[in-house]
Amino acid sequence: MTTLRILLVGGLMSYRAMFNWLSPWILIPSMIVSPICQILLFAYIGRSAGVGNDEFYVMGNALNYAAIPCLFAMSATIEGEREGRTLSVVLTTPAARIPLFLGRALPVIVNGWAVAMVGVVFGLLVLDVHIPGSSWPALLLVITVASASCTGLGLAMGAVALRVREGAVLGNVLFCLLLVFSGVSVAVDDLPGWMAAVSPWFPLTHAIEAAREVADGAALADVIGLVVREIGVGALYAAAGLLLLRWLEDQSRRHATLERV
Amino acid sequence: MTAVEARDLRRTFRTRTGVLRRTATEVEAVRGVSFDIQRGELFGLLGPNGAGKTTTIKMLITLLLPTSGTARVLGHDVVADVREVRRRIGYVFGGDRGLYERLSALDNLRYFSELYGVPPREQKARIGELLEMVGLTGRERERVEGFSRGMRQRLHIARGLLHDPEVLFLDEPSIGIDPVGARELRATIASLIDVGKTVLLTTHYMFEADELCDRIAVIRAGEIVAEGTPGDLKRLVTVGSVVEIETYGVGEAAVADLGAITGVQSVAVEERGQMQVLILHCARDAEVTQAALSRLDGVRVGRVGTREPTLEDAYVELVSRT
Repeated sequence: MTTLRILLVGGLMSYRAMFNWLSPWILIPSMIVSPICQILLFAYIGRSAGVGNDEFYVMGNALNYAAIPCLFAMSATIEGEREGRTLSVVLTTPAARIPLFLGRALPVIVNGWAVAMVGVVFGLLVLDVHIPGSSWPALLLVITVASASCTGLGLAMGAVALRVREGAVLGNVLFCLLLVFSGVSVAVDDLPGWMAAVSPWFPLTHAIEAAREVADGAALADVIGLVVREIGVGALYAAAGLLLLRWLEDQSRRHATLERV
Repeated sequence: MTAVEARDLRRTFRTRTGVLRRTATEVEAVRGVSFDIQRGELFGLLGPNGAGKTTTIKMLITLLLPTSGTARVLGHDVVADVREVRRRIGYVFGGDRGLYERLSALDNLRYFSELYGVPPREQKARIGELLEMVGLTGRERERVEGFSRGMRQRLHIARGLLHDPEVLFLDEPSIGIDPVGARELRATIASLIDVGKTVLLTTHYMFEADELCDRIAVIRAGEIVAEGTPGDLKRLVTVGSVVEIETYGVGEAAVADLGAITGVQSVAVEERGQMQVLILHCARDAEVTQAALSRLDGVRVGRVGTREPTLEDAYVELVSRT
């Protein structure tokens, strides 16, 4: 019961603690205007260059932008607490670490999902995107998986924030890597061989491919392999993140690294 | 029964500087600290900045591993039984930070109730009791970012008590609080002992330690240099009495001259606005007042008084010894 409450109630409270500064004046530009701008940029580059179609760019970039809350929220939840000196108090509690940190990931997954949906809905309303009604349940699921998988990477990044202070900079770097390697605006098949070989190890790659197929009318059963691989990649990063958190917490006790903020 | 036991605790910090030519520096922050705190006791750890007080506390609350030595809290080893120690302790530190600024006081307490595993059905009543105890009832729905330092500090204490810990570590809780807030905080700390808690308190304020602590250890450069009740520590000093002379415009030469009087161990000058208060620490049975006044010929002198040495006098002497 305690573990479940730490996971759900604790996770939500922690999310509010770190992010309830997001008044509409900050939230709208960061989570609505920015993804729309990125979608418009690549959709019109595609149109003017005569490559791809609006749906290709909308799916790629909408899912890519889910990475913003997934990466930054997870690192901010640890880095911000370290700077605010709440982390040292949290770490002196007997709370089990897995639900403590995984709980923080749950609201972030919802946040990432919502940001991706903003992009998809914008594409439907403004650009030349048409998604069959029967594809929506599968599409919503794929976007959820994409957001969860990206949050797995965010968790690993958050763990690193236990040791380094440059979580935000690292987030920018990872966002760019996802933009290039996940097939966001250039299909993985069109990437050079070494890049295409690396891209399956990044979150979003399989989810973006699945989302495009579903938007074209494919059934969930047709893309289940991609969805499972996306879940696997996300789980891999989440597991790495939890192991890193455990190791770095131990290291912080050995080397007093939490004090260096 | 012993609540906290430290045996020859040591902690060395290694820092590295430079990029290409890495240089390692070692600092021994705590050098063989040993003490016992009995259940229900309020134990003070006093020392100047950098003496090792906070490092000692951090080892006891499991945030830092000792380089060597052992420590037990309620019989649980701080290295091997980390979770058991954490269940039984509360940790409160001074200063503005350490709370979720954008959450209300109530939500801060709710969140930590979850982390400490306070059963949901008990949370509301427990939080209500603690808000009442620290005088924040009625303010609990306000965001912490609007709280004064005193209110934050009281909220820190409420948070540290959420899970009803048996041992509480208070690391300079009154730092930067105004006199009224500090007095309220002292009353809160004193009330903890009334309900059977064991408290380890670090502070820079001697009157606070004198008023609150059952026993005190003075730590200097990572080592305990004295330990005992406030009365024991006062008796440790070699000062027999302290003469205080208010002067206006006293020169350095005159101060040096006072130091040469037989029976005067040291002279300190405390500036108070336009006035300089000369504080003469005198040997036992020494009568120096007349001799001192005669050497201040030509200097405007105000009140002259003699008093018993305070804990602060003892502390200054203990941490100044070479």
